Amino acid sequence: MYAIAIHGGAGAVPRARLSPEREQRYRAGLEAALDAGYALLERGGSSLDAVTAAVRVLEDDPSFNAGRGAALTREGAAELDAAIMDGRQQRAGAVASVRHVRNPVELARRVMEKSRHVLLVGGGAEEFALEEGLGLVPNLYFRTPERQSQLEHEQRGERVSDLVPPALGTVGAVACDRDGNLAAATSTGGMTNKRPGRVGDSPIIGAGTYAKNGVCAVSATGHGEYFIRAVAAYHVCAAVEYRGLTLELAVRELLHDILRGLGGDGGLIAVGRDGRIVMDFSTEGMYRGARDSSGRSEIAIY
Amino acid sequence: MSRPQTKPLTAVLLAAVAALLRIAPLAAAEHPLVIVIHGGAGVIERAHMTAEREASYRAGLAAALDAGYAVLERGGSSLDAVAAAIRTMEDDPQFNAGRGAVLTHDGHCELDAAIMDGPGLRAGAVSGVRHVKNPIDLARLVMDKSPHVLLAGEGAEEFALEQGVVLVPASYFLTPERVRELEEAKRAEAARASASAPKGMGTVGALALDAQGRLAAGTSTGGITNKRHGRIGDTPIIGAGTYASESCAVSGTGQGEFYIRQVVAHDICAMVQYQHLSIEAAVRAMIHEKLKRTGGEGGVIALDRDGNFAMDFNSAGMHRGVRDSRGRREVAMYRDAN
Repeated sequence: MYAIAIHGGAGAVPRARLSPEREQRYRAGLEAALDAGYALLERGGSSLDAVTAAVRVLEDDPSFNAGRGAALTREGAAELDAAIMDGRQQRAGAVASVRHVRNPVELARRVMEKSRHVLLVGGGAEEFALEEGLGLVPNLYFRTPERQSQLEHEQRGERVSDLVPPALGTVGAVACDRDGNLAAATSTGGMTNKRPGRVGDSPIIGAGTYAKNGVCAVSATGHGEYFIRAVAAYHVCAAVEYRGLTLELAVRELLHDILRGLGGDGGLIAVGRDGRIVMDFSTEGMYRGARDSSGRSEIAIY
Repeated sequence: MSRPQTKPLTAVLLAAVAALLRIAPLAAAEHPLVIVIHGGAGVIERAHMTAEREASYRAGLAAALDAGYAVLERGGSSLDAVAAAIRTMEDDPQFNAGRGAVLTHDGHCELDAAIMDGPGLRAGAVSGVRHVKNPIDLARLVMDKSPHVLLAGEGAEEFALEQGVVLVPASYFLTPERVRELEEAKRAEAARASASAPKGMGTVGALALDAQGRLAAGTSTGGITNKRHGRIGDTPIIGAGTYASESCAVSGTGQGEFYIRQVVAHDICAMVQYQHLSIEAAVRAMIHEKLKRTGGEGGVIALDRDGNFAMDFNSAGMHRGVRDSRGRREVAMYRDAN
């Protein structure tokens, strides 16, 4: 069975405050990402290409906190993090705090495939992007009026509009292809009003992103610091591999016992070795979607 | 490798009495004090070592061990002990952390460090800092004084200034030896026209168990010689190069990219907790099987809550040391027990 799941952030706004218009926009965005990734799997493409394609669509969509439309730092700039992991040999690539790379997930993939490193940050990551022939874009490209006003609200100490609550928006995808290869990718602008240089869980292999063939692939979204401390994504894999827990149980234990115990909220999507998808969250909602070759197809928020 | 201590009868009686009276038992009777350190793994062979340099390394390791142990002995926390041991090695120019760290391709020191408190899984880390004398102390401030876990580059230094940390000029970290190493690495790179295997995996790290039974872990490094600006290795990545829980603490040194991909530090703890391996067996499986299979080179130190520890590596050698309240005090650097 081949399968793909995506998320567009946990911590969805209360249903009552989400206008039908905006809900429609989110659903359409999720649908487009799912389509892009699933089409590749259907044609026999790799899970790695599928998660890259799905995340790229979400990065380009200004509704989600990644790429264009990312949350802004306390200085009003977009600082983007992303990671990708190939379950085949646990190869991985990640970038943090890039300000001029249109699709950070692409750059993370280049780090994995074209460098001998796993994680590059800031100016060094952008230097590498240039060497790889990726054109840079001005930081303005990422900033939307909505995120600008979200930042202003936050800085005045007010509770924000009906955008995804600032700490929690992130996008991600996990997939299992026809050959049973697993892959995961995550991309984010991080928290609104974040301190420059703050790195969350998204680009941290084992925290926000992990994939291991024969076990599972995971992408997380939530209060990043807690996910780092709990080594969240890898924790799920270790629980499946070493304790024989089902993926459902492993995810539930992590979100509802361990992270809750530490005081952190969020959600994650995972796909098992058999292509089985699990999507769970401890927040009110999580923008998410799933599709597989057995006919499952869904988009949901709450 | 030490064996678990058999509880003396008096301690058992004390504990029983304490339980009856609902007061805490004397902590010291329950938990041995232990500090374990490493000063990096890599090409450390007798053939390449002068008696003078060997003595100097041993003295440096012993000084760090004693600085950490002194904290434990006067009732201090494992966190303070770990920080004290690492600070000593950061200040010592022969180790690849703080002063004397290896240089990036551009000729700078870019320093990474992390610290983690087992109880509560609290953690702090910094990456790519260029003007902080003791990165381990800044990692501790990130943990204690910020809502974040990892701060990188200028953002981390801005935070340092806000916390009253005095910055030092980049030249403070430079030593003639590291400048020469960078030149050699660049020449080798040019000659081979491809990236050579990273040399000088001289990361430093420390683990401690205090009288209250609390574990802590810390790691600090300059990374790899001739590294690309912005490269982050495993050291500041919680779960990769540094990890501590209530039952297990690990600090690694080696080819960081492999440690990140295999979540080495956390995986050792997961094997101990879920597969019920001894700390020694889990470390052996990681270093000589899992890591070796992927081509990763290096070593780790690990410590459990009973005071059992392991110091193992698949490279030629590893600077290491251990001191505990059972009278053990030793440093070593070669493959054999010396």
